[in-house]
Amino acid sequence: MNIVIRKLIAKELYVYRWLIAGGAFAGVASILIASLGKGGFNIGALTWLTTIIATGVVLALYGIMNERKEQSLQFVLSLPLSISEYVRAKMLGLFAGFLIIWSISCAAALVLVFFKASVPDGLAPYVTLLSVFMLANFAVVLCGALHTQSEAMTSAVIVVTNMGVSIFMFTVGPLPGLQKHMWSPAPVWNDTFWTVLGCELAVLVIAFTLPFIFAARRRDFL
Amino acid sequence: MDHKHIEMRSVRKSYRFFTLDDLSMSLEPGEVMGFVGPNGAGKSTTLRLAMGMIAPDAGEIHVLGHAMPDAQAAAKRDIGYVSAEMRLLPNATLGWHMEFVKSIYPEWDGGYAAALVKRFNLRPEQNARSLSVGEHVKATLLLALARRPRLLILDEPTNGLDPVARHEVISEFMDVLRDDNRSILYSSHNTVDVERISDRITFIDRGRVVESSNKEDFLDRWRRIHVQLPAGVSLPDLPNIVGRVEDGQFITLTTNQYSEGLRALIGSHVRDVQRMNLEEIFVANVMFHREARGA
Amino acid sequence: MYSGINISQTDARPMYLQIMEQIRARVAAGDWLSGKELPSIRALAAALNVSVITIKRAYLDLENEGVIVTRHGKGSFVADVNGLAGELREARLDEHLAEAADLARQLGLSEDDLAARLRRAQRNLDKK
Repeated sequence: MNIVIRKLIAKELYVYRWLIAGGAFAGVASILIASLGKGGFNIGALTWLTTIIATGVVLALYGIMNERKEQSLQFVLSLPLSISEYVRAKMLGLFAGFLIIWSISCAAALVLVFFKASVPDGLAPYVTLLSVFMLANFAVVLCGALHTQSEAMTSAVIVVTNMGVSIFMFTVGPLPGLQKHMWSPAPVWNDTFWTVLGCELAVLVIAFTLPFIFAARRRDFL
Repeated sequence: MDHKHIEMRSVRKSYRFFTLDDLSMSLEPGEVMGFVGPNGAGKSTTLRLAMGMIAPDAGEIHVLGHAMPDAQAAAKRDIGYVSAEMRLLPNATLGWHMEFVKSIYPEWDGGYAAALVKRFNLRPEQNARSLSVGEHVKATLLLALARRPRLLILDEPTNGLDPVARHEVISEFMDVLRDDNRSILYSSHNTVDVERISDRITFIDRGRVVESSNKEDFLDRWRRIHVQLPAGVSLPDLPNIVGRVEDGQFITLTTNQYSEGLRALIGSHVRDVQRMNLEEIFVANVMFHREARGA
Repeated sequence: MYSGINISQTDARPMYLQIMEQIRARVAAGDWLSGKELPSIRALAAALNVSVITIKRAYLDLENEGVIVTRHGKGSFVADVNGLAGELREARLDEHLAEAADLARQLGLSEDDLAARLRRAQRNLDKK
């Protein structure tokens, strides 16, 4: 990976440093709240979900669109890189930023599941699926933002994928394979789990790869 | 390098409401080319094509010997680009930008950069968001000049600058001329500056090159001839007259190929022959070509 | 350094002529002596914020006039001609006289009328 791409990834992390730090912090704080009894669990779980999704949306939306709006796109494009290298640096940089928030928050959630007695270990598969879902969700939003030129389209992508979270919770949660074992003391990694996980990973891989095939081939970037 | 610094051949770029058509131009090392045109003529489009930020629909573009936009990464190693609408990253300081550019370009001259910071009265701790328009242009010019690039592409760099800032900016990039291996492509509608600093000038209007020539040649060839014709007298057929305005006995002729021979043809009726400045030449030239095209 | 040479864009005369005139004036006054090295074309262009092509033209014409000499690869120098300063001043006088003759003709003055006016002007100088 050449130095320009590396420096641009570092720049992405630098520019969004407060968002990334804040997001990771809020994710962990949510888990701490979730560890305080039944009421705390519900509130904490909700803020945990919101934090990860919201920071993902902000990173994708601002990360892609703002450079254009703030007119700093020309500054970046005047650097010695090709358009495909620009797209690559953008993808990797924003993904890296989100991964920091996501991995810290999701690790905290799994720690809560496995080490807090009052939280049944059976939740682990569901928490894992929810986590990977949000990662795939971010990839889709990022992919959408890189391929559309208008803010309207990007906003539409965001609204649709956020609806997806609710849809996920209402359709995947109640799946018999998951529902039956959610509150049991030991985690159950059954076929339902692996199927859903497989789908999520497929979406993630596709959404992550598409920009390298299409957006990177674009010959007009302004 | 024997290569021309920029070479465009029959470049075409279509947009919904505007087409840049059959654009050919070249820039030699050691040269300053002024690119003059009304708003919407295609100046920015041409400069972005040179930078590889957009790709042509037809034609060839070579910058510093590299085919654009395919080899743009290599070309941009040695190009400094400043545009009036360009902004730095909003929540980073000028100092951060200097470190950032330095880490990417090994040719970065820290001493020169520091001198420019002082000369331009900038502060490295200042956040890019809080820079005024003038300070932004100076900052981006600093980031470009400190790398000592062979080619400078400037898109209306003095737009919106007060006279002092304009002078500072022009003085600094004119310094590049000391090296006959470096060149500047400069687009502006400030014809006063273009007239002063350009070696060659290209006029562009509605997506087409109207005329491209060396500056002294333009200034030598164009004249306004003030004529007074008494009643009953008419002028002979005159060559190379691109404009004619009559007001009773007084006729003002505009020519793009002035010579003593032309003056002799008109004879004693000539009241005065005036040189034209670049702005007047530009307007007359564009009007003449628009009429010719319309017909 | 070269801040003494000034180009005005509001002056009716073309830039290259203004440069030539200012260099000629310095040579005529003796400020720039024979053999003095002129700034290089590019250095002067950068210092005055004027195009290289304009400086080149000025230097070329000055060389044709015999005011400067360009040695390839070495630079340009004030011509090493005895009495160059005087010659230049005489050339300037001739220019002024030619203008006066032209104006006199336009006014319809005779040669004697013009000569009388010239004598009057010379006497006025002595009075001062």
